[in-house]
Formats: sequence, C-alpha cells, structure tokens
Amino acid sequence: MSPVADQPPIRLLILDDEPIVCKRLKPTFQKLGYDVETFTDSASALARLRQQPFDIVITDLKMEGADGMQVLAGVKEVSPATRVIVITGFATMETARESYRKGAFDFIAKPFKLGDLVECVQRVEKTLQTDRRTPPERQP
Amino acid sequence: MRHALSKRFAFWRRRRLPFAVLFKKFQTILERNNQILELMADMGDKLGGEYVFDRHYIEHSVQELEDLVFKLVSDFSLLNRKRNTELLIACEQIRQAINGDLAGRPVQTASTPRIVPLSAIGLELTDEVGAKMATLGELHNRLGLTVPDGFTITTGAFAEFLATTGLSARHAEAVRYWRDGDDQALRRLAEESHRRLLSAPLPRDLSALLLTAFRDLAKRRDDQGDLKVALRSSATGEDGTSSFAGQYATVLNVAEGRFLEAYRQVVASAFTYPAWRYRLARGYQDYEMAMAVGCQCMVAGTTSGVLQTYAPQQDAKVMGIESIWGLCAPVVNGDCPVDSFLLDRIPPYRLRVQVVAHKPRQLVMDQQSGTLWQDVAADRQHLPSLNDSQLQRLAETAMTLEGFFKRPLEIEWTFSTADTLHILQVRPLSRWSAAPARAIVEAADEPQAEVIFAGRGTIVQCGIAAGRVVLIDSDDDLDRFPHGGILLVRHSSPRYSAIMHKARGIITDIGSSTGHMATIAREFRVPTIVNTEVATSLLQPGELVTLDATRNVVYRGDVSEGHHFDLIEEELFEDSAEYRLLRRVLNHIIPLNLLNPQGEDFVPASCRTCHDITRYIHEKAVEELILLSENHGAAHASAPRRLTADIPIGLLVINAGDGLAGPADAPEVAVDDVLSLPLQALLDGLIHLGMWCTTPVAVDLHSFMSSFTRTFTTALAGPRDIGRNLAVVMRHYMNINLRLGYHYTTIDAYIAETINDNYIYFRFLGGVTEFIRRSRRAACIARVLEHFDFRVEIHGDLVVGRLKKQAPSRMRDRMRMLGALLCYTRQLDAQMHSDRDVACHAADFIQAIRNPSGGNTHESRR
Repeated sequence: MSPVADQPPIRLLILDDEPIVCKRLKPTFQKLGYDVETFTDSASALARLRQQPFDIVITDLKMEGADGMQVLAGVKEVSPATRVIVITGFATMETARESYRKGAFDFIAKPFKLGDLVECVQRVEKTLQTDRRTPPERQP
Repeated sequence: MRHALSKRFAFWRRRRLPFAVLFKKFQTILERNNQILELMADMGDKLGGEYVFDRHYIEHSVQELEDLVFKLVSDFSLLNRKRNTELLIACEQIRQAINGDLAGRPVQTASTPRIVPLSAIGLELTDEVGAKMATLGELHNRLGLTVPDGFTITTGAFAEFLATTGLSARHAEAVRYWRDGDDQALRRLAEESHRRLLSAPLPRDLSALLLTAFRDLAKRRDDQGDLKVALRSSATGEDGTSSFAGQYATVLNVAEGRFLEAYRQVVASAFTYPAWRYRLARGYQDYEMAMAVGCQCMVAGTTSGVLQTYAPQQDAKVMGIESIWGLCAPVVNGDCPVDSFLLDRIPPYRLRVQVVAHKPRQLVMDQQSGTLWQDVAADRQHLPSLNDSQLQRLAETAMTLEGFFKRPLEIEWTFSTADTLHILQVRPLSRWSAAPARAIVEAADEPQAEVIFAGRGTIVQCGIAAGRVVLIDSDDDLDRFPHGGILLVRHSSPRYSAIMHKARGIITDIGSSTGHMATIAREFRVPTIVNTEVATSLLQPGELVTLDATRNVVYRGDVSEGHHFDLIEEELFEDSAEYRLLRRVLNHIIPLNLLNPQGEDFVPASCRTCHDITRYIHEKAVEELILLSENHGAAHASAPRRLTADIPIGLLVINAGDGLAGPADAPEVAVDDVLSLPLQALLDGLIHLGMWCTTPVAVDLHSFMSSFTRTFTTALAGPRDIGRNLAVVMRHYMNINLRLGYHYTTIDAYIAETINDNYIYFRFLGGVTEFIRRSRRAACIARVLEHFDFRVEIHGDLVVGRLKKQAPSRMRDRMRMLGALLCYTRQLDAQMHSDRDVACHAADFIQAIRNPSGGNTHESRR
C-alpha cells in the first residue's frame, strides 16, 4: 500500500545512531512513496522536528545525547498528532511499557524484518487517513 | 593456555557423581546444543537481507553464543570426567578468531600460505585468495568447469610485501583526508604510495617463492620457457559483494622475465587514487583491504566476450552476450564494436536477437610478452564471432553458474583454439537483487502449474528452485548426485552437506528446522523444506518439479520460468560493513567440518567452528552416556528391581529417576509400573506380540516368540547371565543391555517432546551359528533398521543403528519395532541359508509390522 495519490506524501523521519539502519530504511520507504529524512543524532533530529512537523517518526531508544524516550516526549510536545514508532536493540517489557505510556504507537525490537516495520508504518498510515478525515482533538 | 584451562576443569575428575546428576548434565547438553543451533540459524537468517540489524546485534549474539559453547564444553567435561583440553583450546581459537574480526584485526595472518594452487582453492579460502580467485577455484574444483590453470599469490604474501614498504600505516592519513574532503591531499598520498610500490623490491624469500611457483606451473603445463600468464587482482571484497569493476589492474601475457614486475603492478593498483577513493566511499576499513593476485595461464582465445545472465533492459526472459574475435579485454574495456546476442534463459536457449558488428581488428597475444592488435581476415570481419554450438554451451554454463551463485552474474569467457570454453571471471551483476517470490506467484496462477503438495513441512531456507528430483537413500549414492538436482531424502542428515553445493533444492520427509543439515542448507542458501512427511511418496525420481520454499509448495514441472529476479534500484545491503562483518564472523561459527563420526578427523583438534564443537560434543555425549550407564549405573542409582511379566524376561531395572512407579525398595516391578517411555515402548514390542499371531504372513512370529522365551529361560541359569539383562531407566531415558541366548543387544534411547533431543542407539552382536550366517542375520537386521530410518553401520556381525530427532510418537513406534525385531531375529541366523534369505526375511518382518492384525497403529513406510 502506498500513500494515496491525491494527498501529499506521508512525511517520515527516521532517527538511529547506527547509520546502517538509516541506510536500509530510507530506500525502502522512499520506494513505497514516502517522503523520508534520516538522522543519526537526536539533537539534529529534534531541531528538524521543531522546524517542520512529520507524520511518522521512527526512533531508536538508546543513543548518545537525548535518548529515544526524550525524543518521543519532544515529538509529542511539538506535534501531538505525530505517530512515533520506537525501535530498539535493548527491548525489555519495562521499556516497551514506558514507550506506550509516553504515547508511542508501536514498539519494535531490533533486529527486525523490514516487512514488519513496513507493515507497522502502513498501519499508522491508516490511522492517519482516518484522522485526516476527522481531525483529532488537540491533546493537552 | 593449555595448563590454565585444564586446571580450571580438574576438580570434576576427582569427584564421582551420582548417575542421576550426570544424566541431568546430559540433558543440559542436549538443551544447550539446541540453543546453539537455533542461535546459529538465527544469525544465519540475518544474512538473507530480510532483517535490519546493527553492530550491537552481532556483538550481542556472538557473546551469547560464546557463552553457550563454553558452558556446553563445561557440561561435557562433567559428563566424561576429563579435562577436554583440546576442546577448550579449539574453543579459545575460535573465540580469538571471532574477536579478531570484531576488533577489526587484519584478515591475513602469519600462517597464511603465500602461494595456493588452483586445485586447492575454494570459497573457504576467500580471505587468502580473494573472492575472484576463490570463485574460480570453486568453478574448477567443485563444478568441474574449465578455468585457466594457475595459482594465486595470497593476501599473506601481500601483507609481507606491504610490511616492508611501511605503507599500511598511511591508511589513517587517507581516512582523515577523505573525512575532511581534502581530495588533493588524498590524490598526492595515493600517487606517492603507488609510485613507491612499483619500485619497491620484493622480499627475497617471496620473490624466490613466486618464481618457483611460476616455473612449477610451466613444468606442469609442459610449457617450459614459453609459459605466459595473466595476472589478475583478487582483492578482498572484489567481485564478492562490491564489484570494484575496473578499479584494479590486470596484466596480460606475462613471461617469466616480467613476472615480478607485473605482480608489483597489480598490487600497486590497490593504491591508485580512484581505487582508494572507491574503498573509502564504500566504508571499507583498512584491515578489509588485502590484495591477492591470481596467476592464470594465458588462453589463446579465438573468440571471447562477456555474458550477462539477465538483460532486463531488453527483456526479463533473456540473457545477453557480447563477443569479439581474439582476446576478451576489448569487450570489457568497451572500446571496440562487438557482436551482441540475446538468448532465452530457459532451455533450449533459443537465439532471439543477433547483431553482428564490423570487427576489423582483434587483440592477440604477442609472441614475446603483452598483447597486440591484429587485422582480422577480410572474410571474417562481418561474420558472427560465435556459432550455434558455442552459444548453446555458453548458455548452459551460464545457467549452471547462476543456479550455483543464486544471483544474476556477469561472466567473462573465452573459447580456446581447441574450442574449449574457459571461464575467466565471474562476478555478481551489480544493481540486481534476487526477489523471486513475486515471480512464482504469477507463474503459479497459470493453469498449468499443478500443485503436488502444499503447506507440508517446515521451511528451512526460502527460495525457489526448479530441477529434477534425485532420491538418495544410501551413502553410496552421494557421489552420483548430479549438479542441479533437487535432493529428495527420507530424513535429514548433515552428511548431505557434501552435495549441498550441487543441489538446487532439498526436500525431506523427516527432519527439523534447527538440525545440523538445516544450518548447512542456510549456509549454502539452498531452498529447503523439511518434515513434509509425504515427499518421497508423492515425488518420482527424475521428475521435473519446482520447489517454492518461500510459499511452501511443490509444483509439477518448471514453473519458475525466467522470472528469477526482480529489478531493485537501491544500494545492496551486502555493501554494508555490518553485513560483511557478520559474514566474516559466521565463517568461524556455521561451517561444519566434522562430517563423519567414524572418520579419523572426528577429534577436538579438528574443530574449527562453533558448529564443529557442538556436533562433536553431541555425538560424544551420547557415547559417554552409554558407557556411564553400563559401567556406573548400578553403582549410583537405586537398587535393581526384577521385572515381572507374562514372559520370563528376567530383566533387572534400575530406576535413576521417575522411571518406575511403586516402592523403591520393592524387589520386583510390574510392566504396568514402568513409567519410562522408551522401556514401555520396547516392552510393548517384546511382550504384546499376540496381536500378530493371526496375521497371515510367511513367518510365524509367535513361534519365534516361544523359542525366544524358552531359550531365554535356559540362558538365565547363572547370576552372571542375569546381570547382563539390565536396564537403567528414567522417565524419558532408557539404557538396556540384553543377552538373548548368545547375542548381545544394547539400546540407549531418549524420548521426549523436544524432537531434537530424541535418539535411539541400537547395537547388536553375536549369535550361535557360524560367522557367515551371523553376518547374514546382521545384514537382515540392517535392512530392517534402514527401512525404519535408522542410520546403520555393519562390521561383520556387529550392527549399529542410530535414529535421531524424530517426533516422540515415531520414536515410540520405532522402539516397539525394535522389541519385535529382537524376538524375530532371535534364531534367524539358524535359517539364513543364502544371501537371498536376507532380503526375504527382512521383507517378511517389514510386512508383519506394516500389516498387524488387531488394530495396531504402527505407521508404515510408503
């Protein structure tokens, strides 16, 4: 499923301090018609997020500087409608629970199958389309 | 190291542990063995491209694996009460090799040979000879294709040469310039390095060695004084996952006088500005750069060119060939008009398009050295440079190669004056990625795609393969396995790894997705489905089928058509440093070198990978347990209890844990109180034979039963004899030693829910008649055991049968069968009048098992 033609492309921001992750994900999502930007440090990613809202953010959890939880909080602060998918190589029930509590849409353990992440993003996209038809109430 | 390690494990030898404790250790070994195989399979899966993983994953998995392997050895030391120093040293060496890769140590070591002849080269030597030459060695030595004879000057020689020039220290400088974008400085560094290498003298030892290799080749070729070779770069990574096309030098037609100079020329090409820049841009680390150089006899090509197995810019169903008179270089360089051909990718490889160019000149070998341009005879200038027979041979060879390497390829070739096809180079066609699943979906939707079976069994390795079914059921058949066949076997076994490189696909009736064979199938990337249960009964040997191990379907005929690949214009994941690192690390983990437990090299010192270690320990742990229960079982477990049964079986049973019900100090135990699953099943076969009495088969099993009990009773006269009939049991385990008259049987078995842990070991020896008849009986038993999936060895009248990794229900059935077999064969040797009887009696017994009266649910074979 690719983004609907008569709508602007879904904007996707990917943040992972391992370049390989960005390198693999970017072409995959570009091919599916998404507008993709990738970052390997959280400070630049957060700066970019303040400049411009993204529909979906995929972020690693454990990083130098601001970690994924802080990025998650930062995203929700500037743009509550943005869906956040957390990916991590240090998956525990505790971090998963915390991610959901802080508003993450989904939580995926690394290493993951490309197909699984694509499917997850497509699920997000469905909820976005619903939202676009009926704009969500602004969260406090 | 040896001393420290052995000290560490010394305490175990001093203590004698209760049998139950040792048995628990044995079970732990089985569990760890499974965990290791699963982890290995999991890591192997990550190479497939479906997963996104990072360096953290590699480090974490390696840590976990090393931990498991170390614990496995520790457990084994406890079980066999030995130091196992050799095993620990093997572990340590593997660990150091892996950590060396993780730390980014240079791939070459002091022990790397400096010269390797073509006949000794295979893919496993990739680090030493580079991917390009390793590939050619594989083509020559495994696929039997014609490749120019020669040898390779290894990365070890390169390291030795480089060390004398002090250039290896300059990489950090280059990285800095690259990072800072200082192209000028990088260019200056490269030019200086290149110059210095061209003029640097080779170490004396090395140059002597090189010249000796050259002269030996000349002698072997009977080419003395006249040998000319081509020197080709074969750098690490080149032609493997990155193509490096055109980055490194090739020097053609080199005579002995120019040999050393040409070697330096090729090596120096690694340090030209474009080559260095290319590596930096692709994130190659300095330790990943090592240049081997292939030396190949020149082939005086009459017509040469390049074949691409896939030409999707033209049509998805064709391959493309470009050719020219003379040597191949002009086609590669693209500086001449060439003939071009498009052929179907499927037999009979019909010629679709032919465009013949005007070819006024050809490149040929100079009499002295080097090459020169020559005019082509006027009447040949407009002729096609390939005839139909040559096109046909090229197409066949190309499809064989593509099947082997599992990806679209670019092949450089030449036809010699004797019209022999020589393969000069093979490399992956860049910018193409295999995505076969979609293609088969389309093909499968066509009405002619008949499904033979679907959704049966477990997928071990995804992928699609079409080929003829080759049924293998004994060791002897392995050598005859043809290249490109679909291997069909009853049950999986690691010994099939010997033909894995020839198989397009593998289908088994029985087998687990975490077993040894599964791991190897993944390593070879052979599409594989195991545990289908029905494959051997539904597929005919010789039949053409398509195995779709992605969707788990087997089709009749070749439905894969030409759609093997799909265009994906993205960077190949194989280009990432993480992928290369995982692949290197897995080289020390997954390959299995210890294939044959009976082989002389089945020793700890031969263990070169984690897989070898687990295989060795698994095999030895089973042996050890048999020894333990024979020698120490009685001394460490509860007091023996005599089995009371309808037949006077005279069996003493020792309960080593949950194997018997009733009071532990009772002198007797009833059949109903036997809780041990293996013993239950065996007794079922031994005692409850009444169900067969009415069966109208040629052999009256009941009469054997009576003779068995009668003889048995008399044999039980003395206490020594009674002592031979002993079983040590636990809930899932049994070790039984029986003396029936004059033959001895040992059965050691473990049967539980986890399929991978299950095994039966059966040993049969002796008999009252003369040797030849006893041997016939042994042959008869072997036949029966083989029929029921056992792996069998016969030595005279000794029969050893092994059965592993089957579902518990099947294991129980096999135990019941063994019980029946013990009765049946009791006095068979007295009736074995001719070799023909062997087959008859085996068939009778199998028939009796297949068609039991009284509603027995024994499964039958085919």
